[in-house]
Amino acid sequence: MSLPGPMRNKGVAGFRVRLFAVMMVIVATLTTLGLYLAQRRVAADAERNLQQIFQSELASLHKLEELRHAALADRCDVLAAKPRIHAAIEDDALDLLYPSAKDELRDLMESEEPPPERPAQWLHARFYRFLDSRGRVIQPPNPRDVGELDPKSEEQLALRSLPETHQIGYLLENGGTIDELIAVPIFSTETGDIISALVIGFKPLELADKRTGMKSGIWVNGRLHLPSLSQSAQASLNRRIANAVAGGERGENNFRLQLEGAPHLVFYKRLNPQSLFPPAYEICVYPLAPWTAQLRRLQWQIAGAGTLLLLGGFFASHLAAVRLSAPVKKLALDSEENREKRERAEAALASTAQELERSARYSADASHQLKSPVTVLRVGLESLLAREDFQPEVYEQLSALLQQTRRLTGVIDDLLLLSRMDAGHLKIESASVNLSEIVDEWLDDLSALPDSPEVEIEKQLPPALFVAGEKRYTSLIIQNLLENARKYNRPGGRIRLRARAAGGEVVLCIGNTGRAIPCGENIFERFHHSATPSAASGHGIGLNLARELARLHGGDIRLVCSENDWTEFEVRLPAANGAAPAA
Amino acid sequence: MRLAGLLWTSISLLPGMLLAATVIEGRVELPPSRSPPVQAKRYEIVTRGGVLSTQPPLAVVYLDGSFPRPASLPLKQVVQKNLTFIPALLPVQVGTKVEFPNLDDTYHNIFSYSPAKRFDLGRYRPDERPVPAVVFDKPGLVTLRCDIHEHMRGLILVLNTPYFAMTGTAGRFRLEGLPAGRYTLKAWIDSKTTREKPVQLRSNQTLHVDFP
Repeated sequence: MSLPGPMRNKGVAGFRVRLFAVMMVIVATLTTLGLYLAQRRVAADAERNLQQIFQSELASLHKLEELRHAALADRCDVLAAKPRIHAAIEDDALDLLYPSAKDELRDLMESEEPPPERPAQWLHARFYRFLDSRGRVIQPPNPRDVGELDPKSEEQLALRSLPETHQIGYLLENGGTIDELIAVPIFSTETGDIISALVIGFKPLELADKRTGMKSGIWVNGRLHLPSLSQSAQASLNRRIANAVAGGERGENNFRLQLEGAPHLVFYKRLNPQSLFPPAYEICVYPLAPWTAQLRRLQWQIAGAGTLLLLGGFFASHLAAVRLSAPVKKLALDSEENREKRERAEAALASTAQELERSARYSADASHQLKSPVTVLRVGLESLLAREDFQPEVYEQLSALLQQTRRLTGVIDDLLLLSRMDAGHLKIESASVNLSEIVDEWLDDLSALPDSPEVEIEKQLPPALFVAGEKRYTSLIIQNLLENARKYNRPGGRIRLRARAAGGEVVLCIGNTGRAIPCGENIFERFHHSATPSAASGHGIGLNLARELARLHGGDIRLVCSENDWTEFEVRLPAANGAAPAA
Repeated sequence: MRLAGLLWTSISLLPGMLLAATVIEGRVELPPSRSPPVQAKRYEIVTRGGVLSTQPPLAVVYLDGSFPRPASLPLKQVVQKNLTFIPALLPVQVGTKVEFPNLDDTYHNIFSYSPAKRFDLGRYRPDERPVPAVVFDKPGLVTLRCDIHEHMRGLILVLNTPYFAMTGTAGRFRLEGLPAGRYTLKAWIDSKTTREKPVQLRSNQTLHVDFP
């Protein structure tokens, strides 16, 4: 049944490998999950961060633009309220309109180009035109004075109707320049009606941010003005914006776009909501390359950390697997040894049991086989003794024969009882037994025996001493010990009996004078015979039987001492519970 | 020489004496005043629906026709005082020179883009000498503006005739020394409203004409 050594080692190694594999799978799964979550978190954080940066930047730029628009509108309002302009329109002196306006707008038109660092505060007009009561452009007598425009661009300044409030618009000229338009209404001071409008074209604010590399442009009338982008990039961006705008995506929005081979984030926002001018959108293009590079770097860092974690996990798993499998290996070895031992013991036990059973069966059979002829013999002898026609010496011999036959019967009974005990068939029916009574009975019998030597009997027994047991077997124990004490005594010797109750047990000591039992002799062994031959020798069953019976009762018999003409046995039997039921 | 001069004088006065006797008087039905008159002599030009008129409403009644221009005409004044034109409405005969003295402590820049007279006096202070003046040589309504004070408005009604008069706030008027003949009597009420009635004038007659 036992596995050979190499196979066992293989089994332990397999366990270690499996343990290692499971731990590695767990470590790898946890690491991967952790890395995935961390990476997602990092990416989301970075994107949110980026969006926030862009949004705040855009917000500040738009704030700047709003301020600029407000300043422009204020300035235009002042111009629109100029009495000469009013007078020219109201008093039907249109020929004087542009000449009058020229004086009023001189500072706006003739101021220098704004310095690049302060474009927002600088108000420099490129051109201006007045609209008539139907929103058409009033032609200037001398276009050079009011900023030249090609006729097509000039047409785009016209409005469907005169505006009631400021209108912001954008004009993309054919030359590729973009102008920011502000149209302000001119109210009649006499009627309060809107009688005209002044449209002024400014150089728009160039929004650009060197920190983020943002580029901004304007999309108006389906055309994109973002000169810092290449033509092809402008075209693709233009298409994308047209789609986004046509798709009705509302308000400020953004999308990603591949421009010039790099990813970009594009924000667009209507610059002139609810304007009479065509809708214009501000387009802000942020390059995502630095951000993606940063993200990639982060991802590499995370991947590196993950690899380190995995390696750490690998070694930790390996160590743990070895450490954990060590006791298992030991356990496997131990259990293997235990199993071998157990199997050996079981085999031995089985053979012993078999032998025991065989011997028990044999002795039982033998007892039965013996008992019947002995009974026949005894009955025959007794019937012979009953006759009266024999010689007297014949009676004497017959009596001796009968005596021997009775002894034989006793031996057979003992053997029979032993065999029953060996077979485990003997059951004790426990009752309260008066030990003192039994001792007394046997002492009486002992004195009545014909060949008993003259011995002095010393008895120290309480009158009633109850033990738990079956009376006939208790009696047998006492009988055996007393018979031995008489049998192995010397003439003129002494037998002493003492009994006491001690902690739930009754201890009976039976001592006798006589030759001591030599050291090393196992007198309790079955069929024991003394090494030193003696006239008084038994058949070697009595002590064995007595001890077996005592043990069956939960007690024991032992030899207390055997020296200097004194041999003493001690019987321990369980005391009967409570007081004696019957004396 | 002296006699001849006296004779010329009497001849020239004769029509005047005769003319003085011919009178038109009456009343112009004025639009209701938008606010109770506080200062009888202070008028301002208001616009309502694109129509310039005085507040409280006043009318100019004149005898339309072609009359010989006199050799000299009296010098008139429109004063700028407290950022208003005084008077707010001034009827003058064609050819009259009007001075625009600045009685405020600030600059004024009186100009007009009206077809009847375009002029621009430029910025001037009260101590500007000579006092800026304009000769109005074309009949029509002239809107006076100030380039510095955009709310300021004044009206000068340039007429062909020397026979004109302004009504009071009640609308009453009286024209004296009129020549006999058939004429059209006109009442200018605001920049868009002028009423007219044909009149037959006889010497030494007082005609009563009401403009409803």
